[in-house]
Amino acid sequence: MTGRPAPPLEVAAFTVHEITSGDATTLHDETLTVDEAAIEASARGEPGLLGLRVALVRPGEPVRVLNVLDAVEPVVKVDAPESTFPGALGTLTLAGTGRTSRLDGVAVLPVADLHHTYDVSTLDVYPDGDSFVDMSGPGAELTRWSATENVVLDFLCDPDAAPAEADAAIRRVTLRVARDLAMASIGSPPDDVERLDLPATRRDLPRVCVVLQVASEGPLVDTYFYGRPLRDSVPTLLDPREVLDGAITAGQYDWSGVRDPTYFLQRSSLLLELLRRHGVDVDFCGVILTLGYLPSAFDKERHAQLAAGLARQIGADAAVLTTFQTGNSHTDTMLTCRACERLGIRTVLLLAETNGGLTDHVPEAECIVSVGNEEELVAEWTPKRLLGGQLTWKDRPANDTGPVPVVSYLGSLCQLGDMRLRATSW
Amino acid sequence: MKVAHYVNQFFAGRGGEDAASLGPFRLEGAVGPGKGLGLTVSVTLACGDDYFGEHEEDALVQLLRWLAEDAPDVLVCGPSFGSGRYGYACGTLAREAARLGIPAVCGMHPESPGVLAAEGAAFIVPTDLKVTGMRDALPRMAALATRLGQGETPGPPDRDGYLPRGLRRNEIAEASGAERAIVLLLDRLRGETRTEVKVTLDDVPPPAPVTDLARATLALVTESGLVPSGNPDGLESNRAHVWLAYPLDNLASLSPTDWETVHGGYDTSVANRDPNRLVPLDAVRHLVAERRIGALHETLYTTTGNSTPMATAAMFGQEIAQRLRAAQVRAAILTGT
Repeated sequence: MTGRPAPPLEVAAFTVHEITSGDATTLHDETLTVDEAAIEASARGEPGLLGLRVALVRPGEPVRVLNVLDAVEPVVKVDAPESTFPGALGTLTLAGTGRTSRLDGVAVLPVADLHHTYDVSTLDVYPDGDSFVDMSGPGAELTRWSATENVVLDFLCDPDAAPAEADAAIRRVTLRVARDLAMASIGSPPDDVERLDLPATRRDLPRVCVVLQVASEGPLVDTYFYGRPLRDSVPTLLDPREVLDGAITAGQYDWSGVRDPTYFLQRSSLLLELLRRHGVDVDFCGVILTLGYLPSAFDKERHAQLAAGLARQIGADAAVLTTFQTGNSHTDTMLTCRACERLGIRTVLLLAETNGGLTDHVPEAECIVSVGNEEELVAEWTPKRLLGGQLTWKDRPANDTGPVPVVSYLGSLCQLGDMRLRATSW
Repeated sequence: MKVAHYVNQFFAGRGGEDAASLGPFRLEGAVGPGKGLGLTVSVTLACGDDYFGEHEEDALVQLLRWLAEDAPDVLVCGPSFGSGRYGYACGTLAREAARLGIPAVCGMHPESPGVLAAEGAAFIVPTDLKVTGMRDALPRMAALATRLGQGETPGPPDRDGYLPRGLRRNEIAEASGAERAIVLLLDRLRGETRTEVKVTLDDVPPPAPVTDLARATLALVTESGLVPSGNPDGLESNRAHVWLAYPLDNLASLSPTDWETVHGGYDTSVANRDPNRLVPLDAVRHLVAERRIGALHETLYTTTGNSTPMATAAMFGQEIAQRLRAAQVRAAILTGT
């Protein structure tokens, strides 16, 4: 980054091996006790919501959680809890400095059956597809949250409310619960403290930036930046620690496997790895937040050019380009690749494949990481318990779906690169 | 394990070019290269290369009939090395046999037309261009044939020695996508470019311009998901399994009350306000009235092009093209979204 280096972000991790319900929310001996009744009460009076039921699910249980809207890691700004998730929940302050405590091994999963509560097809753009987290069975390894202790927030939306209003309440309550769970760690010694620093570094290291693509297309398909949907934004330069510290929150519920849940932004392997390598073999020069799924060729080219221009301005030699959703957004990624390469900025692209196909390609895209084939079918599985609904989005019983595509699993093909899935030629 | 082996006239011992027009024939036991496989070949099927190329359908009918009678556990074809016609026959027969449930292995050079002809249905062991590669090819073909004949599913192509069949299968990599991306990028900056996705584009050459459009019948075809309002035939918003045909009789333009799009891959609000922007019926009527286009084919062909597998899309295209050709349509506007 150019300019004055920001002070480091300290991330204190508190390991949680077990969650259990109790009369107060506490953290002792790696056990998080959750006051479920208090959480349920906290959603009363929220506009657009008729109710909230809390369920705790653990790795290995025969449970399918469906209609999973997001996954959030419980975090709190230790010195100023009221500023956690600035803009989206907390008071506005720049994220990415100070000290953040996180509950390692826990996720908050908001679920709501929007497809059977609202006629989402009345929206200009509406979310498609199932969104599963299976705690065991053949699909479990495809989603990160089969390995976390999960606090499932099962929301009952008011069918007479606007979907956007119910969704705003869901996101608010979810982030609040995530923050309040992490508050239980205050006063205890952490198991680990990561110091995320970005000092000026040797001049001979390659300057690498990340072009972070998200989509923001309207209610139920928005991504939020300090609390506002990114919709009409232009590419923006960020400190990677802002992203890791809650500046971007999810609200885009289209195809579950190829979107970025908040958890993956908070714990982005890509950003964390580049921070670790900063000063070792790269000079991490920043994150450029841009949009994909833009509605016209003009908008796509405009964002591609502006993102590449920002990369040049910060002196990037190379860029990692991430993608959000497949199909349409592959064009945004490809045009951004071309624009960067024409400015002499070498690129690598992270892409999910659709049965061996990319929707678009430019010859400059010589270096692509596959995060898997979204259409590959996962063997059918019969969960003993369903949470978050009874029917798939195609109205099949959710415990008798037959084989489902990989894209049905939350974050399975996240094009930020957080999973290990990859497609190879057979 | 029962093995059938296919060879051409030359390897069946009937002669070279002079015998290339021989029709299919059947021999008991192993012949020629079949003796070098080290497998118990119960039947050898053969055909002249020219005959196969010129009478493919007849040749296939006879060869497949024999395969059905003999019911082998596996079919081995070739090796055909760099031979174009022989390779094509091997790939085609292997494909058809595999689709009938008889697993098939060919041996040929990776650039043989037989590779494409096999369409990924059969397994192809890569060989040398020349027949001098026989000794190297036979044991590798036999090893794969043995596994297939015993009902096993082969492992990855590079490990089990066959050409990728056009499938993309998922595996769990040793490192996250993010870590792999950083390594690939740093290697690229050092001058070593690698990729996990090799893009092979379906390169469609632009057709020749329509001569005399003023006398041509033009059709409207779209993948934009346009359907009559209410979507009476239930066209899918993505992964469509059908294409549909709707009459355009006498319609001057597409009214937003009568037509809508069900496509799930783009913002449909503008299109639903004016469906003519998906399918330019209004403009085409105008051009027909001005006699700049001969006539409009009065059927609209539509589907949803959204996450459609390539093979399905190709099939839709072929089926629609056949209908257009039967109706003597000479030009089409294909609107994509």
